[in-house]
Amino acid sequence: MISFSFFPLPPEPATIHESPQHSLHASHDMDIDLAHHFLHDSNLTLPGETLTSSHAYMRGHGTYVHNEEVIASVAGTIERVNKLVTVRALRARYNPEIGDLVVGRITEVQPRRWKVDANGRQDAVLMLSSVNLPGGVQRRKLESDELQMRNFFEEGDLLVAEVQAFFSDGAMSLHTRSLKYGKLRNGQLVSVSPALIRRLKSHFISLPCGVDLILGLNGYIWVSKHVKENEQEGEEGFDAEAVYSNQNDEIDMPTRSAISRVTNIIRVLASHFVPLSDTIILDAYEWAMEQDADVSEMLHQDNSFALISAVRGRK
Amino acid sequence: MPATSTISLSKAEKSYIQTGILSDPPFRADGRSLRAYRSVELETGVALLANGSARVSIGREGINSGGGTEVIAASKLEVEDLNEDGVEGGRIVCTVSCSPAAYPHLTSNALDELQEDISTILHQTLAHHSLHPNNLGILPGKKSWLLHLDLIVLSDAGNVFDAIFMSARAALWDTRVPRTRRITYRARKDHAEGQYHIDADENFSGFDTRRLAKATDFELSDYWDEGEVLDGRERWPVCVTLNVISQTHYLDATLQEEAATLLRLLLVYSFPPNSPPSLCGMRLVGGEDSALPDIKDFIKEGEQYAQELFISLDAKLREEDLRRKQKAYTKFARSR
Repeated sequence: MISFSFFPLPPEPATIHESPQHSLHASHDMDIDLAHHFLHDSNLTLPGETLTSSHAYMRGHGTYVHNEEVIASVAGTIERVNKLVTVRALRARYNPEIGDLVVGRITEVQPRRWKVDANGRQDAVLMLSSVNLPGGVQRRKLESDELQMRNFFEEGDLLVAEVQAFFSDGAMSLHTRSLKYGKLRNGQLVSVSPALIRRLKSHFISLPCGVDLILGLNGYIWVSKHVKENEQEGEEGFDAEAVYSNQNDEIDMPTRSAISRVTNIIRVLASHFVPLSDTIILDAYEWAMEQDADVSEMLHQDNSFALISAVRGRK
Repeated sequence: MPATSTISLSKAEKSYIQTGILSDPPFRADGRSLRAYRSVELETGVALLANGSARVSIGREGINSGGGTEVIAASKLEVEDLNEDGVEGGRIVCTVSCSPAAYPHLTSNALDELQEDISTILHQTLAHHSLHPNNLGILPGKKSWLLHLDLIVLSDAGNVFDAIFMSARAALWDTRVPRTRRITYRARKDHAEGQYHIDADENFSGFDTRRLAKATDFELSDYWDEGEVLDGRERWPVCVTLNVISQTHYLDATLQEEAATLLRLLLVYSFPPNSPPSLCGMRLVGGEDSALPDIKDFIKEGEQYAQELFISLDAKLREEDLRRKQKAYTKFARSR
């Protein structure tokens, strides 16, 4: 049950994937000094490359000024707005904004707060005052709540939350004060690059195959068994037992395989840099069901290329 | 003991994975069967300055280079004097280092411990005298080769031990020992005997030439090839990690599955040609116990998995040998 293969050859510089109108715009419209560029017909850059003179342009994110020249500090694409030159990094951590929906994992329990790994530059903070406590949505925090913080969330727990505010050091503060937010169970996590998650009307997606998706804007995606609207915890009153439960429900085989199939689809799409949205995932799922392929075979190289071309074709 | 897992999972995730594996039929998070490996990529000759090298990745995804366990192994030969640290017939030293990028959640102390643990397991297995190659000596009683086998774990997506042993085997398979020629200093006829002994031992009389080895130094012979292969390279072992949940076991765990599994059994088998396979290493990792009869079964079944792994790895390595020759030809043609 084991097979060996070769490492794929690195892609030719000409085939690097870019959105076409973007590169056109950049190379024609931008009278940046491109003479030092290693790829003359693209707007990719590497750290340390001189982009332009600092007299004519302003430096933006991803650049610095040295010897009156604007130099890239990250690898990525050059972007220009009027006189401002920025480099958008190819691989970056999640850059939070207020109101974003994120999926995070508790890393530490501290006095009156939890530290949450949310794929940002620093750990996010979830205050005890920003979670729903048992016995009514609005009530004062008691000392007894502080003493039993691990009953709500403990290290390793996954949760879905919203970015509420920022601290002075730039760390994000989360809140779970909605019935939609809280601890996650009945499924598995898949993580992709945060740049691939598009902002959608709703990041809670129900696929018709009995799978719920939570697309965290930080690149963490929760794939779980579908929970019916009227069975969601905390609809009437607030059942702390159910909301902070660690027990999974009974999950049958077809649901399990659907969860795995969706997870594998997301991994394939992400590895080919396809931005994720509900329609693309659904298209890919339908295609995979038409092919009637085994769940694990989807990750094989041939199948993943077929999936990508099928999804691109449908667009 | 190595830590059972380097990431943390929530209780719900753990139980999701465990229930899936224990259910009938078993179901894993990525849809694989219990005995299936992820796709493995292997290539030898990746480090130009090494005597032998290999790169192995398990479960890499798509066209970008992330998402899998990746290990690079390289061997480097060094001449050692037997008067100093050297051992008659040469010796092997294995070192594993783990890139901090592979374990972003570990502190530097924990990382040091982890690489120390992995190094110990690899070194104890590979440096054993039963596997020792015969052609690491240069001059009997004087000089020998010291083989450094250095591995680096670039990323860990689970099953790092199998990847390490695979890459170690591939790098040792790829290793070429330079050909050496002995040089003997001979006294010229018209001088008194014993005047030209270069490095005679102080314990012996400088005039007593009977006990001295004839050869006193060596030179590298100039040849088109990089040297000869290590002796007995078919013997280098492979490792299979059996992940045990109650009485079920499965292979090639992902990082998440490793975190949900309490017991791991590392079995290292060598399959020397024309003789029965031998178990050259075994390690039980984790905080669970297992019944003795179960372990017996695991060892028996582990041998089969190792045999399968060995056969396909062997085929791949022979294929890489051909590729190496082609590479050498093109290099030769280019240099002319």
